[in-house]
Amino acid sequence: MNEMLKKLFDAILEGDQHAAAAHVQAAIDADIDPGEILNDGMVAAMSEVGRLYEAGEFYVPEMLIAARAMQASMVLLKPKLIQSNVKSAGKVVIGTVKGDLHDIGKNLVALMLEGAGFEIVDLGSDVAPDKFVEAVRSQERCLVALSALLTTTMPSMKNIIDAIVAAGLRQNVKIMVGGAPVTETFAKQVGADGYASDASKAVTLAHQLVKAA
Amino acid sequence: MDKRTVMKLALEWENPPYVPWNINFTIPAMEKLQAYYPGKDLEDVVQNHMVNVGYDIYFYEDIGNDCVRDNFGVVWDRSVDLDIGIVKGQLLEQPSLAGYIFPDPLAPYVFANVAGQLKEYGDRYRIFGIGFSLYERAWTMRGLQTLMTDFYDNPQFVHMLLNSIADYNITQINAILKYDIDAVMFGDDWGQQHRLQMGPRLWHEFIYPVLKRMYGAVVSAGKKVFIHSCGDVDELFDDLVGIGLNCFNPFQPEVMDVSALIPQYRHKLAFYGGLSTQQTLPYGTVMDVRRETRHLLELGKTGGYIFSPAHDVPKDVPLENMLAFIDEIQHQPGYLNLV
Repeated sequence: MNEMLKKLFDAILEGDQHAAAAHVQAAIDADIDPGEILNDGMVAAMSEVGRLYEAGEFYVPEMLIAARAMQASMVLLKPKLIQSNVKSAGKVVIGTVKGDLHDIGKNLVALMLEGAGFEIVDLGSDVAPDKFVEAVRSQERCLVALSALLTTTMPSMKNIIDAIVAAGLRQNVKIMVGGAPVTETFAKQVGADGYASDASKAVTLAHQLVKAA
Repeated sequence: MDKRTVMKLALEWENPPYVPWNINFTIPAMEKLQAYYPGKDLEDVVQNHMVNVGYDIYFYEDIGNDCVRDNFGVVWDRSVDLDIGIVKGQLLEQPSLAGYIFPDPLAPYVFANVAGQLKEYGDRYRIFGIGFSLYERAWTMRGLQTLMTDFYDNPQFVHMLLNSIADYNITQINAILKYDIDAVMFGDDWGQQHRLQMGPRLWHEFIYPVLKRMYGAVVSAGKKVFIHSCGDVDELFDDLVGIGLNCFNPFQPEVMDVSALIPQYRHKLAFYGGLSTQQTLPYGTVMDVRRETRHLLELGKTGGYIFSPAHDVPKDVPLENMLAFIDEIQHQPGYLNLV
């Protein structure tokens, strides 16, 4: 790996947002290809964050500060990515379902997906089915990520999926679900395409769903 | 033998005559049960074994628009979640306590119900509850994600905030210990569905030393320490027992092996909770609920266990499932012999 990108990778992994921003600026100034900066420096670092999370070496705070460093770098890199026409890994419409205001899990998934190079459309929390339908309608193809913390709000996942089906948009999207009480079995019951038990696994699942689309 | 004695026997593994229980309900679940027992006092129906004294987390001022403000100044939006709500805004916008005044730990409202509760339910085990007792109190004031990043960005502030919260709690604990209570129950969720939120290293660095102080105030008075901490936290049990923990709640079967933990911690740590609120109660049949309840009662028959669902019974639990576990616990032979 290019030495500058290695420094960027390390800064993100350590959650040092100021160093990360400085290293990405140095890489831009050195005319390194923006796609290479994104993939080899930033996405690779966030992928390592996910690996360390799954290995039990990182927890939520480490994930948050790494994502913050990645975002600080992305602010500088984004104009270059647009100029160079670098495509995102895919678009994800994400939100917590109607009736559920607990958003930390959803935020972590959004951060990790963004770190994996996905474009995020964050609808926020307590999102009604018609808002998801509206967001999906305005995209050509996308992933939909639904989050619920409570058993009492899990049925909203089915309502959202049913609304997407009723709007004739189901074939345009892949739908993933997650949240503390959600299970693989439940995901199948409500007609989702996949389930992830944490933010890191959500990234793996998102890549699989994009490939399968 | 009164309920208080049964609880004490269970907590000491001294072969209680039956497994005691204590069940709390969310408001919608309670309404469902009340509709089934019109005009009856649900305390008489459920026959709980604990009485909560003190204010717990339930001192709020209604500020309109479905919002309440707690005594620390944190605003809670209850437009959707009627029982607790969701924190709105950020009380401490900067990593500093400058200008912030803690509430009076000895305010009359904290102790207002103690004498009345002890008089009305004097036959029960007496618990003084401190909800949002440390980490949760800190993040409700600072914001969850912000506090998580403060562990790295502003560690001295986090230490100061947590210790200030502990000072408030310890002052309150010392005052409540003047009453004839049995235990203090701290509430503080550290877990996710899988693993700790902040990880063991940060937990040990920031939370553990402060817990040691708070638990010490209870232990030195010869009272029991209970903790309610949701999620996958059993990796902390040995450390918690080492600083005086006696009983762990909510004991969620989806995140820890309840069947293994009761015998594993025999004579070290008792458990309170255990009945699945993520799967069995909302989605299981009456038979599933009865089977799981009987299994838990069997596990706890020689002590070390207090039966309860692993959360205040949520609103999506069918009435018949509530009635099923109530029926099972109240038909324990040892209980029937005493009533």
